[in-house]
This record gives sequence, C-alpha cells and structure tokens, in this order.
Amino acid sequence: MKKFLMFLFVSSFIFGADAKFSIEKGGDARKSVAIIEANDSLNQFRGDSFYSILLADMKISGHFIPSKKKLSGDFHSSVIPADLKSYQYILKYKVTNESGLSLYVALYNSSNGNVVFKKSYSMNVASKYPFLAHKAISDINDALNLETIEWINRYVIFSRYTAPRKSEIVLADYTLNYQKTIIQGGLNLFPKWGDKDQQSFYYTSFSGKLPTLYRLNIYTGKKDMIATSPGMLVCSDVSKNSEKILATMAPEGQPDIYEINVMNGAKKRITDFGGIDVGGRYVDDESRVVFVSNRLGYANIFKQSLSGSSVVPLISRGKNNNQCDAFEDKIVYASRETSSASSGNTFNLYLANSNGGNIYPLTGSGENQYPRFSTDGKVILFVKNSNNSSQIGYINLETKQSELFSLSGKKVQSIDW
Amino acid sequence: MKKNLILSITALVLLSGCAQKAPNLSGDVSDATGYGDESVNMNDGNGITSSPNGAMIDGRYNSSSDGFQSIYFSFGKYNVESDMYNYISKNANNIENIGSGAIKIEGNCDEFGTDEYNYALGLKRAKAVKEALVSKGIGEDKFILVSLGESSPVCSEPTEVCYSRNRRVDLRVAR
Repeated sequence: MKKFLMFLFVSSFIFGADAKFSIEKGGDARKSVAIIEANDSLNQFRGDSFYSILLADMKISGHFIPSKKKLSGDFHSSVIPADLKSYQYILKYKVTNESGLSLYVALYNSSNGNVVFKKSYSMNVASKYPFLAHKAISDINDALNLETIEWINRYVIFSRYTAPRKSEIVLADYTLNYQKTIIQGGLNLFPKWGDKDQQSFYYTSFSGKLPTLYRLNIYTGKKDMIATSPGMLVCSDVSKNSEKILATMAPEGQPDIYEINVMNGAKKRITDFGGIDVGGRYVDDESRVVFVSNRLGYANIFKQSLSGSSVVPLISRGKNNNQCDAFEDKIVYASRETSSASSGNTFNLYLANSNGGNIYPLTGSGENQYPRFSTDGKVILFVKNSNNSSQIGYINLETKQSELFSLSGKKVQSIDW
Repeated sequence: MKKNLILSITALVLLSGCAQKAPNLSGDVSDATGYGDESVNMNDGNGITSSPNGAMIDGRYNSSSDGFQSIYFSFGKYNVESDMYNYISKNANNIENIGSGAIKIEGNCDEFGTDEYNYALGLKRAKAVKEALVSKGIGEDKFILVSLGESSPVCSEPTEVCYSRNRRVDLRVAR
C-alpha cells in the first residue's frame, strides 16, 4: 500500500494542461466499462492498487471509458445490476493467492448478458502483479478486436543517479508500480533493450579505466562485453534482428556514430565530424540513420545513409534539438526552447516524418525529454523532469490519450522500453 | 464510499436484470508467460574511486588531484578560454614533474544538458584540454580521456556559481 501511495496517477485532463493532445468531442467510439472488484478478492489487493492499474490501462489505451468509481460485488453472481445497464460492458475481477498470485477476469456484454471474455492468469512472483492487470486488459482489448495495446505489457528500463558517480539500473512496468533495481553500485548508464523480447539489454559501465559496453541477460545473468572505447560509448539503437547496434563511440576522443555487428564484433564508422555526433537511430527500413549533431553550430537532427557520407539537416526550426528517436518513417525529437545557464530550461517534444516534414508539437511546457517510441510506434514514452525528480509520461498518438506517472526522488538519466 | 458500496450490493441483489451465466474459469487458466522472476541483481563496480570535492584552494576552485588544476568552461562550450591558459601551463609542468604514467582527463558538465549529448560535450571538453596540453609539448599517448557527463557534480546548489563549477575538466594520475 505504501508503494502504491508513491504512485501518482495523473489523469489525462490534468496532464492536458501540458500535453497538446486532448480527446476530441463527438464520434467517441470508446467502450464504456463498469469495473467490479470481487468481494472476496485477496485482501492486500482490495482497495485501489489493482483497480487503479486496470483503470490506467483502460484510459491510456484510448479504447475504453471506465467507470469513475470502483464497484464491489460477487464475482460468481449471474446477475447484472440494472443500474449498470448504461455501460456497454461489465468487467469483474478477482485476485487470489492461488499459484502464487492469480487474477480472474470476466467481461460481460451488459445489453444481452453474454460473457464476452473470461480468463484467469497466474504468476509465482506476486510483486509483479501489475503485469497481471496489464495482460488482462490487453487480452480484453484484443478480444474486442480493438487496435493492439501490447506495449502495456512491456518492461520499462531506466538508469538514475543515486549519488555523484553512482547510479542504478531499474526494471519497471509502465505505471512504475513494479520496480526492481537490477544493477547497483558503480556508475552504469544508458540501458537499451537488446532484443524485441526484452531478454537482454545493453548498458555502459564505468567501472574500468574506459567506458565499456555490456549486454546482460536479465533471466540468466549472462553478461557479454561488446566493446570498449576511450571517452564515451553508448548503445543508441538496436537493429530489428538484434544483430547490429548503433553506438556513439570515440576511439580517438571524437564522438561519432558507429555501427557494430554484435555477431562478429565488426565496427563501421558512420559519421565523421570534428564536433559532436550522437544518438544514432535507424530509419527508413534501416537504410539510413538520424542523429544529433552540432555541425551547424547548435544541436540539431540530421540524416545520413548507412552506405554514404552526405548528411542532410532534418529540422528547420529550433536552435537546440538535442534528442531524437525514430520509428520506421517517423521521428520524435526534444527541443530546448530556453537557454538559461542558471535554472531549468523548457524542453518540448515534436513529432515529424523522417524527412523533417509535418512537424507537430506534442507538449507545450515544462521539461520534457528522452522521447522513445513504443515497439509499434503508436505511443511515445518521455521523461518530465522538475525539481530533481522525474515523471514518466506516455502519449498515445492514435487515441490522443496521455498519462504521467511519478517516479519518487531521483532523476532519470536514460530510459528505454 | 460505504453508501455507494451498499447501493451497489443492493443493486446486485435486488435490481437485477436478466440472469446471466456465471463465468466458469476453470480450464481456462493462462500463465502470464514472460513474467518470470528476473534473476539479475548485480553490483557492477564501485564507481570511479576518486571523488572530487571541488574545494576552493588558494583562491580558486579545484577538483583535480595529484597537483593538477581543474579547467572550467562556459555554458554549452568546449573551447579552452584565455583565462584558463595559465592553468594549462601549470598542468603541463605538473605532468613533466610526475614523469611516467598515464594521466586521466575527465570531462564534466552541468545538469542542464541531456542524455548522450551531455556526455559528448564532456568528452569534447576533455579533448580540448588534451589538445592544449599536447600543444605544450606533452605526448598524445600520455592521456586517457573519459566523459562523466553530469554524473560527477562537485556541488548541487541551484546557483550559477555552482553550475559553473560543474562545467569543468579534472585531471589526475590514472590508477
């Protein structure tokens, strides 16, 4: 419960003061759902914890309008209350401690009383209960033939500073209700998932004389040394087949983009510039990379073919576009829009196509950074920093829903999902 | 809340619509696969052992060690400015006095930078100091460069003086 109190759920209308998106009026195709918690649900999950996660899942999907208050009832009752007939669906759930932790869900069509979906889920690690809720809602979403929201089942991984020259790497569910520190001690930064199944991730360790890139399997603990480099070494992107990565390296003290074949260790220099080139991302079916460079005198987004050397500036607006992510033919970038050396600056996020056109603002105020596309490109994760603490936000590009979840205390250094 | 709960239960019992078939979930159990326990919980290093405090010595801030003087930079910049030239000369002399052994040059930034770009900025600062020292006749292979980005602040007060102390390059004997 204490952990739950640390979890701040900010509904979209509050976040709407910052996000550019809002739900459009009229033609609302979302399904209304009344949520009923079983009277005999496991005591420790009675109350708001499980319910709030189900609620968050439904809201961020943009496919549901969940009931505003939690209802209680008999899970096995064959009766649908008349006062809930105004909802299209009734979702009943029950949490038990069978097989570690089990979740039973049943979705009724309230107009004809038919059971539309029923399933039970179990896992032997009770602390990961948020994933049970996420899995149930994504399955219900699929059962109703709605656009997939598979991304809610994925891990988020992030690094955060704990003290000068100290950091930790943390696994979490997207709502941050589940958090587990998996690397602590020392300075270990820039975690990046190494495969689509989230079995392993890359990170940079500073425990030796030189920055060293490792790949670590989170289930077996197998740790592979991938590369080492003077100056800096960061894995910025991973190819779809997981065989190649884009890395920022500086073998001669000069930060440039390299492609590393992790199968055979071969390294290919992609950019060659005397200033700063960082943050390479594959675009256009992995035939090109977009990256951040200061080659025009300020940080901006550029594109280059993997097989050529000509560099094209992508974004014509802003004087400090210092982070970007890419998905197929879309990019999202962060732009620093103030330049104070003594206080926090405003960073906003923008969406564009991979040729730099169709620029669309996603946020309007605050310090919004580290944008990351979901694996299907439909949702953007970002970090909102303020007063030495961070919130993790999500913007659903299709349904125009947005949510923020609070991360108590420490500032995020880098994040991936 | 209690009133709502009572109303809901009452509604379930009394205000029923047509009877439904209760869900029978036996035989339809799904293991939430992929959510087994991650076995990893590791301690990866003790970090960089030297921990600069950036104290003021002889009227100037310094967070280097082994007789070196830290070099400071302007906001967002990585060129060595003219008021730092004397410290470059002092550091070059110190390297000659130390003799053999590698020198580590650590680039640092304030907290306003972001992500990889800040680490690259720290590296460019370290590289600029290295090149200034090479111009004083020190061999290029004498140095190990590393960027610590914003990870190694010497102070954390929200003041310009503090932020400027974090925009620096520290030097020390590599150990």
